[in-house]
Amino acid sequence: MHKMRQGFAIGMVLAIGTTLSGTPGAAQPVDTARIAAGSPNDWLTYHGAYNGWNYSGLDQINATTVKDLGVAWIHVPGRSTRGLQSVPLVADGVLYYTGSYSRVFALNAATGALIWSYFPELDDTLVARQTHSPYNRGVALGQGKAFVGTVDGHLIALDMKSGKVAWDTKLQDSQKLTVGFTGAPLYAKGTVVIGSQGGEWPGRGPIYAVDAETGKVKWTFITVAPTEDTKKTWGNDSWRTGGGGGWMPGTYDGASNTVYWGTANPAPLYDWSGADWKTAGARPGENLYTTSVIGLDLDTGNLKFYHQELPHDGWDFDSAVGEFVSIDRDGQKYIVHPNKSGYIFVYDQNLKVKNVYPIVTNINFVKSINPQTGELIGRRDFSAGKQAEPLCPSINGGISWNSGSYNPRSGLYYKIGNEWCMTLDVTKTTPVTEPVAQLNIGANFKLVAPPDGPIYGHLDARDPITGAKKWEVRFPEPPMASVLSTAGNLVFVPDSRGIIHAYNAETGAELWNHSDGLGHQGGIVSYAVDGKQYIAVVAGFGGMVSDDFAPTFGEPYKSMPRDDGVLVVYSLK
Amino acid sequence: MPAAVIDAKLHPVMLYIMIALLALVADVPRAVAQQSATAKATPSSLDVPQLFAGTCGWCHSDAGRSPGKGPQLMNSPRSDEYIRMRIKLGKEGAMPAFGTTFSDADIDAIIKYIRSLKPEHG
Repeated sequence: MHKMRQGFAIGMVLAIGTTLSGTPGAAQPVDTARIAAGSPNDWLTYHGAYNGWNYSGLDQINATTVKDLGVAWIHVPGRSTRGLQSVPLVADGVLYYTGSYSRVFALNAATGALIWSYFPELDDTLVARQTHSPYNRGVALGQGKAFVGTVDGHLIALDMKSGKVAWDTKLQDSQKLTVGFTGAPLYAKGTVVIGSQGGEWPGRGPIYAVDAETGKVKWTFITVAPTEDTKKTWGNDSWRTGGGGGWMPGTYDGASNTVYWGTANPAPLYDWSGADWKTAGARPGENLYTTSVIGLDLDTGNLKFYHQELPHDGWDFDSAVGEFVSIDRDGQKYIVHPNKSGYIFVYDQNLKVKNVYPIVTNINFVKSINPQTGELIGRRDFSAGKQAEPLCPSINGGISWNSGSYNPRSGLYYKIGNEWCMTLDVTKTTPVTEPVAQLNIGANFKLVAPPDGPIYGHLDARDPITGAKKWEVRFPEPPMASVLSTAGNLVFVPDSRGIIHAYNAETGAELWNHSDGLGHQGGIVSYAVDGKQYIAVVAGFGGMVSDDFAPTFGEPYKSMPRDDGVLVVYSLK
Repeated sequence: MPAAVIDAKLHPVMLYIMIALLALVADVPRAVAQQSATAKATPSSLDVPQLFAGTCGWCHSDAGRSPGKGPQLMNSPRSDEYIRMRIKLGKEGAMPAFGTTFSDADIDAIIKYIRSLKPEHG
């Protein structure tokens, strides 16, 4: 459960110029208060700060100066199988990021010079058996350590200064389950929280909390039928087929000591119950707590409240997107959470529904969702066989797993929506309960265009609470990366072709763009060192959604590598 | 890889990795052969259409009839042996290795299914 594992930490610990602000060792340790405060010079957690904004308060790069933006430095991590999907973090002039196979790099954030790197020694035969592997989506920082999960089920703590392993805890029997960790962990108040992969596998999607100092497990929350009562929401003991992995990092609210997390879909993905989903089909019932948002007590892991966004999700529109955007308006605190279906859910702090609105046009799995209650209206529950009408959105999601951005200056929420559908032939299967590298999908399908036109993606600028749209920018292929907005009145969108765009945050007018040479599907952040602002973005394509681009769109995706990656960092020339 | 091509100046850690990798590669045919020997005794009970609906079809769209994340399998120009080895060993970053999951008889059944695929009408 708790063992040291051999890895390769290259402890170069290069001397960093003393003129750098925030030289490692001289700064205050990264702690919960710093992450909550969200200093604009740093990017201390996956979404920038616990508020989930993906926003930078820096304005040196702005609507006027952005024309002078150019590449400051790049870093090539190597062995970027399925591209780069991580969000870089920055603390006190050091940038930490991960590549495929959970390789971790610490770089001088002003120059790109390597400080240390760490390559965990993974179970290669297991990795070869995995479907959703070997990409990694980032580290968490706290208490002088960088924390990273691995696809073979470990959570590892590295010393932030040297890259040496502080502890290495095996959390999950990945040999048995064939899934591990690809999502970034979350650090809060002495605890590291990480969720397992798993929507299509017969696991039970655990979310783990680990002591940041010792690596000992504090608690485990099973997302699939953790209690006898919730087992009743899985008829015929179908909870054994599982799903429900919390595969993306959620966030933390210090005032209530609550961890907010999203969970994946149940398995099989596509059920053949028809309208009788409460009593018939593969997994009769609501299937708690899959496709749900949950609030857990950080200290105990006890469930405080939840909302199941799609009861008995039969469409693979999970809630695992870890974006919980906290917004105070008129004395009320709201939490905005995107669901893969293309709907945005707005909650209060206790996850009570306050509003629901779609940002995607092509949705037909329901007729609508009641904005007052969150109830699904006009559900489309499939019977076995070929469906006459394509399912919209497709399995790739009206919303993908990367993050949007909330800008407190414009008051707008910038979020990518995807317009695509798929044919669907629901097939009765005997769900696999013994994991042997097999999934439980329950259908054959093919990506197709929406009924009224071609596939496309769009960046929407909306009021985050009401959903009112101010402007929209369209892309010929859905952008797969995260979005960054800044106090410089800018919104950055790294697109799938490999172009990074900067738009006026108020109007949507394009002000600048630049090619990074590879499609984007990871993070984009901003930080400052010694008074100079930088924008860091990862480029490198490939994975469960982007692998569909070559057969669907042709070039440039047909000839785009899916085993390459680069971190590109921009500053003003 | 002949030992002569190993650079004598390599760091000992690198040498260790290379030797470990060589051992791993050398083990693959042995493992496959061992499994084949035991598998041949047992006929496959695999329901391949179900297998495609449960696992393979995510990448091999339309039950293998259309290209998706993975190639179209219907009318594949690849030889049976090529397909067999790809199922067993997988392809890094693209297809999982199923060599420890399926017996030779199972893989025979999968190949038979692939060769029988026809376009759907209507």
